[in-house]
Amino acid sequence: MPRLVKKLASAIGLLLAVVVLNFLLIQLAPGDPVSVIVGEMGGASEDLIAQMRAEYGLDKPVWLQLLIYIGKICTGDFGFSYYFKQPVLDLILQRLPATILLVITALITAVILGTLMGIFSARKPKGVLSHFVTIFSLVGYAAPVFWTGLMLLIVFASIFPIFPVSGMMNVRGNATWYGAVFDVLHHLVLPAVTLASIYVATYSRLSRASMLDVLGSDYIRTARAKGLSERRVVFGHALRNGLIPVVTMIGLQFGQLFAGAVLVETVFNWPGLGRLAYESILRRDYPTLLGILFFSAILVMVANILTDLAYGKIDPRIGGRRRKKARPAGARP
Amino acid sequence: MTTLPDPIGPKPAHPATEFMRAFARNQSAIIGLMLLAIVLGTTFLGPFLYPVDAYSMVDLPFAPPGGDYAPLGTDYLGRDMLAGIIEGGRATLAVGAAAAVISVVIGILVGSFAGFFGGAIDALLMKVTEFFQILPTLLLAMVLVTIFGASLVTITLAIGAVSWPQVARLARAEFMRIRKLDYVAAARTSGARNGYLIFRVILPAALPPLIVAAGLAVGAAILFEAGLSFLGLGDPNTMSWGLIIGQNRNYLLDAWWTVTLPGVAIFITVLAISLVGDGINDALNPKLRRR
Amino acid sequence: MKHLRSSTLAAAVALTLSGLFAPAQADTLVVGTTQVPRHFNGAIQSGIATFMASAQIFASPLRYDANWTPQPYLAKSWEVADDGLSVTLHLVEGATFHDGVPITSEDVKFSIMTIKANHPFQTMLAPVEDVETPDPLTAVIKLSKPHPALLLAMSPALMPIIPEHIYGEGDIQQNPANLAPVGSGPFKFVEYKQGEYYKLAKNEHFFLDGLPKMDEVIVQIIGDSANLVLATERGDIDMVPFLSGVRDVQRLEKAENVEVSDAGYDAVGALNWIAFNTKKAPFDNPAVRQAIGYATNKDFILQRLLGGVAKDSTGPITGTSPLATEDVEKYAFDLDKAKALLDEAGLTPDADGIRLRATIDYIPGMAEIGRNVVEYMRTQLKQVGIELEVRTAPDFPTWAQRISNYDFDMTEDSVYNWGDPVIGVDRTYISSNIRKGVIWSNTQQYSNAKVDELLAAAAIETDQTKRAALYKEFQQIVVADAPILYINEVPFYTAYKKGLTHLPDTIWGAVSPWDEVEWSK
Repeated sequence: MPRLVKKLASAIGLLLAVVVLNFLLIQLAPGDPVSVIVGEMGGASEDLIAQMRAEYGLDKPVWLQLLIYIGKICTGDFGFSYYFKQPVLDLILQRLPATILLVITALITAVILGTLMGIFSARKPKGVLSHFVTIFSLVGYAAPVFWTGLMLLIVFASIFPIFPVSGMMNVRGNATWYGAVFDVLHHLVLPAVTLASIYVATYSRLSRASMLDVLGSDYIRTARAKGLSERRVVFGHALRNGLIPVVTMIGLQFGQLFAGAVLVETVFNWPGLGRLAYESILRRDYPTLLGILFFSAILVMVANILTDLAYGKIDPRIGGRRRKKARPAGARP
Repeated sequence: MTTLPDPIGPKPAHPATEFMRAFARNQSAIIGLMLLAIVLGTTFLGPFLYPVDAYSMVDLPFAPPGGDYAPLGTDYLGRDMLAGIIEGGRATLAVGAAAAVISVVIGILVGSFAGFFGGAIDALLMKVTEFFQILPTLLLAMVLVTIFGASLVTITLAIGAVSWPQVARLARAEFMRIRKLDYVAAARTSGARNGYLIFRVILPAALPPLIVAAGLAVGAAILFEAGLSFLGLGDPNTMSWGLIIGQNRNYLLDAWWTVTLPGVAIFITVLAISLVGDGINDALNPKLRRR
Repeated sequence: MKHLRSSTLAAAVALTLSGLFAPAQADTLVVGTTQVPRHFNGAIQSGIATFMASAQIFASPLRYDANWTPQPYLAKSWEVADDGLSVTLHLVEGATFHDGVPITSEDVKFSIMTIKANHPFQTMLAPVEDVETPDPLTAVIKLSKPHPALLLAMSPALMPIIPEHIYGEGDIQQNPANLAPVGSGPFKFVEYKQGEYYKLAKNEHFFLDGLPKMDEVIVQIIGDSANLVLATERGDIDMVPFLSGVRDVQRLEKAENVEVSDAGYDAVGALNWIAFNTKKAPFDNPAVRQAIGYATNKDFILQRLLGGVAKDSTGPITGTSPLATEDVEKYAFDLDKAKALLDEAGLTPDADGIRLRATIDYIPGMAEIGRNVVEYMRTQLKQVGIELEVRTAPDFPTWAQRISNYDFDMTEDSVYNWGDPVIGVDRTYISSNIRKGVIWSNTQQYSNAKVDELLAAAAIETDQTKRAALYKEFQQIVVADAPILYINEVPFYTAYKKGLTHLPDTIWGAVSPWDEVEWSK
């Protein structure tokens, strides 16, 4: 698979660029991590400050810090978090599962809901119900995601206390393993629905447009002429092709999904990477932030490669990179 | 946004009247247009119809809506919410529009060069695009705002700087499609330079979907600004919808209106933009129109 | 928020769902906090997040009651020598660390010397020269000069006794036991799920009989205070210490099954104030600073902005300290006096009625006592012709960099007393502590020889009455000179579920052991 090898090589190049750019960018930020630590400690002497700077290597010139950092990354060492005094890798691995769980659940929810809505409105594009579906799918897109989250929180955790307020698990513990699984799912509902709400519109719109294309094509007309039931035409024949742009979009949007996770995790106190990233910016915890940016870049790349593979599976006719003209939803936080 | 540049050359064109008719038949697009008119009207005529200073205290903090002094209640400093929403709308729309322009200009430049020249230039530019696309946009914008300070200008620049890749991809696809068309080849053989081909021959034909994308980018940028403000990275000295939400979020449980109302304002604006954008898009889509 | 509004359906669903989870055990204490600890070793790290955990895991020589009186803890008794140059501690017999190793005077010595070398509060143990260990249960702290602050420095938050056999090897900053601590306090460390919670379990061999009452303590970290309040209302959380949002306090006061108390926290002495850059014109003129004091309606801030939840603050030492005085200038609201002072200082109004333009900063994240107060000042000072520009920092490091490099005119700031004035008050006023780049040093660049002299004398005065007199004079001078305009004490409350008793209500509030906290049966 030379294509995969080439892809991997370019991926490594991109990752290196991610590391260098972010490293340099972060150096420009005013204030340094030591001042945060000192702040939380309620003050410290110059000796202690100098000692901490030396400990973190902040007394060295920037280019040397960068070289040291790249060297370490190559050996799988992401350094120590300034703030938590733990290896960054440990911190990230502790938080990664929560984010992946949230993002994947939200993605699946959005794709299924969005595609169904898209198909529905593509079948009768001028109907009143079709407009209703369009507007409904736009609700999640047009509202700021944190605001959606806050509203859901108020309604379903405060007025009707059905779902938990924050976190991923009941800290008091669960008696059984299925209790624990159910507990996590219970905590997952509101954050996942919130995150999914942004993307339902994207997928419904995409699948609608592409289904309209496909339903108007010759082979569908042939299928109809053969007397197949409308349901078989739509779900058996049209959907397979109609899904191609949807799959492409999943790969493209993975990075955005992670960005949305920053806000959703903040609202619901979800113990994932997004919140850690946000807190790391505030704390000037550069090693952690760099590590997260690195990992999120890897996540997006993996998603892109998987998308590529899935793409070939769905549409064997196209081995290359036919790019569906998909209208962008714009960059979304 | 509903006017189209005259198509140049023998490209199969949609006559403007046919477009208008298609657009007018689309109920949700019309609703969107009406909502947009309301938003723009409120924001720009509001200061004359409701001349209350958005920055001064008019009542006790957290006076509920329907009070004697503030019809939509007051915020944590006792400032008039209605005045705040009117005042904040201008900054919000300005940030949205300016950031959209920045992202569209960068996106068109990158996308058009990549799509027009192809080959090594395309590969390089797409690598850059990919680079920006694999970084979480919000995180990158947060880093930028933290570095350069939270002012309306830096926020706008940061949003623009991280949102262009999608426009670039779209522009590239359009350019790749159009550059192969006969009339472009004709212009080329008649000795037109690359610059002329890109900006005078191909761009006008590629513009309609890009205009729609620009409109949607306004909505996305508004949401983006709100997100940054929510995380405490908004410009504290200029009232915007995002800032009102960000500053009042701690009081959501007690004073729902302080967060809900600006949220609704953002929601209506972005919804209107999306509906209009969808309408234009559908009207431009010949397959849909034929049905 | 009362949940009576919930529909029966919602209630039924909630009931079914909660039935699936383990029932809350009666003697588990779930504590909610917004503070994220870096680690748990209070000997080398300060701050509420670490202190709170450290005070549960480690025991200290002394502890305090609600009236600033020292009580025996790891030291069953103690004597201060007549010359004030040594303090002898007699340790309780049979006390052990969580790993079963007996606590000896060597551990006390190791802890004190570690804290002296590593703790951010450098003045706390500065006069300590050595600790002698004549026998395993006796430790004699040798001082270079009398140091009355030492008694408060031996509190649970400030002097955790850490085991030498665990922390004695290598660089203590990198010691893995900082994140998996071994102490001798009422609770043992179990686990820390970063960003979510940490768990502590009852120390079965605690040296105080019958304590602690709880079997398990879980401290849940909820970054957003609104979520924390919501979770508390719902009964997910049993106790919220250091609750400081005005609205949060008021809201939980109304909640059905929650009690809110402001008892405790006196020694933390968290003061909120407006500081001036006293080296920058026109703020180098005391009259200008005083004028701003008179132009500020503190009553409005305390009653309207802070809803009567925060206590007034009138001077550099927290109000309930035995060393505080009420006898200082109060800067009663008086616009005419303010204008007269400004005229006197040569700041007359220009054509637009403006006498002075200046900037004001605040600690980011401090909504009510920071941003709101500063916004109020901006509106208010317009009345005397002072045009303030509010500068917001996106985050703490940005603010800290500005202030510690003297790039400011005025700023809101919160600085804590941490017990004795020598620990947390002197640093703000002593001229030798004007240290560029160091936040919470004397960033006002205030320098007054008389103040330096008084503070130096008070630091070594062992007679409590004479000491209080010295501090009284200090407070009067500093308040009159007005390098700082005192606004309020940061409100610290404890919210707790009804039925929870013996809450930590000593002068150290929740940064003292929770060994007596129990559910009423």
